[in-house]
Amino acid sequence: MATLEELQARITRLEDIKQIEKLQRIYGYYLDYFEFQKVVDLFSDNAESVEIADYGVYKGKQGVKRFYLELLGGKPPRIGELSIGMIMQGVVDVDPNGKTAKGRWYCMMIEAKPTISLHEGELRQLWGNGIYENEYVKEEGKWLFKKVFFFLNFRTPYEDGWLKVPVVGQHGPSKEVPPDEPSTYYHPYPSGFHLQPHYKHPITGK
Amino acid sequence: MMNLQDLEKQVIRMEDIQEIENLQRRYGYYFDTRNFQAVVDLFSDSADFADLESFGLFRGKEGIRRLYWDDIGRGSRPRDPSESWISTVVIQIGGVVNLDPSGVAAKGRWQTWLAETFLYGGVPRQYWVHGYYENEYVKERGKWFFKKLFWNVTFFTMFETGWLTQPLVGLLPMANPDGPPTAFYPYPSGYKFPYHYNHPITGE
Repeated sequence: MATLEELQARITRLEDIKQIEKLQRIYGYYLDYFEFQKVVDLFSDNAESVEIADYGVYKGKQGVKRFYLELLGGKPPRIGELSIGMIMQGVVDVDPNGKTAKGRWYCMMIEAKPTISLHEGELRQLWGNGIYENEYVKEEGKWLFKKVFFFLNFRTPYEDGWLKVPVVGQHGPSKEVPPDEPSTYYHPYPSGFHLQPHYKHPITGK
Repeated sequence: MMNLQDLEKQVIRMEDIQEIENLQRRYGYYFDTRNFQAVVDLFSDSADFADLESFGLFRGKEGIRRLYWDDIGRGSRPRDPSESWISTVVIQIGGVVNLDPSGVAAKGRWQTWLAETFLYGGVPRQYWVHGYYENEYVKERGKWFFKKLFWNVTFFTMFETGWLTQPLVGLLPMANPDGPPTAFYPYPSGYKFPYHYNHPITGE
């Protein structure tokens, strides 16, 4: 028979998972609307890094601000620019300490963006797909992002598809807002590389 | 230190959120299987309204029945087996559900990705659709129901063209709404469908 303390700890874990799921989904809704300051405010002041596709690694809260506010949010979105991320299928694991957690998610993207650079060229309609492997931290009772890592699988013009044209609109690190380090794992389709999950097999433990 | 009563309250909250998530997802599955009576039965008898895309505002349980059963489901007319190709896949994604402290009311934001097939100008056509929900739920007699269902369409495009080329096709107001749609501003308007929640960290 479980004690009251044990039950309380178990309930807290369930609530933590639910809070992290909400955090991740709210992050997606802010990105849909180009609300980058609100995105930054979801990160811990002790955030480790953000790394998306081939933009490179932006370190610390300062790096998080540079990435979202200066690089992505440097210019207001153009009329017709669309950036919908459908964040799905979370596998969230809270560490035994109850203070840190990891989560893997799919993201399916529906976009209309210029593909020459972040801000230049004709808008194209795009399908995108990728995987998040993120880390979270609990501070003062609230869950925050510690690390965001996004593996781009494909981003293809609507008219072409991923087999014909796997990736458009990625041109490596920005010169204007350079990263602290180059990308650690940029291998879009059809590289054959697969982003490994943070978790061990739930049955075999491998 | 928490007592058994506090613990029970926390368990009930967790169960409520799970029930509401299931309610929202079941709505999608009933829609997909074209079981519109089942959709209507997910609404409280004291439901406020349903407001979908350009259809208009349908008030009360009676209006909700008109929308889903009479209009979308075409009433009791038996389905022509040759129309088996008609399909509505409404994928329910990204629920952010917040319970009211009262424990008997809640709000939820979701997004939807749809793959649909129906007649357009007499020809069967296939569509990609995207939108967001901001819904309200109510707990009555121990069960969760829809109180308000508000679906804001982002685009409604044909498979062959896409959202940039043709953001909107095939949307018409229904014949008998109680009022015009309250927020029908599809892409590329840039409209932001307001969140029911404050920022979880800054509280703004």
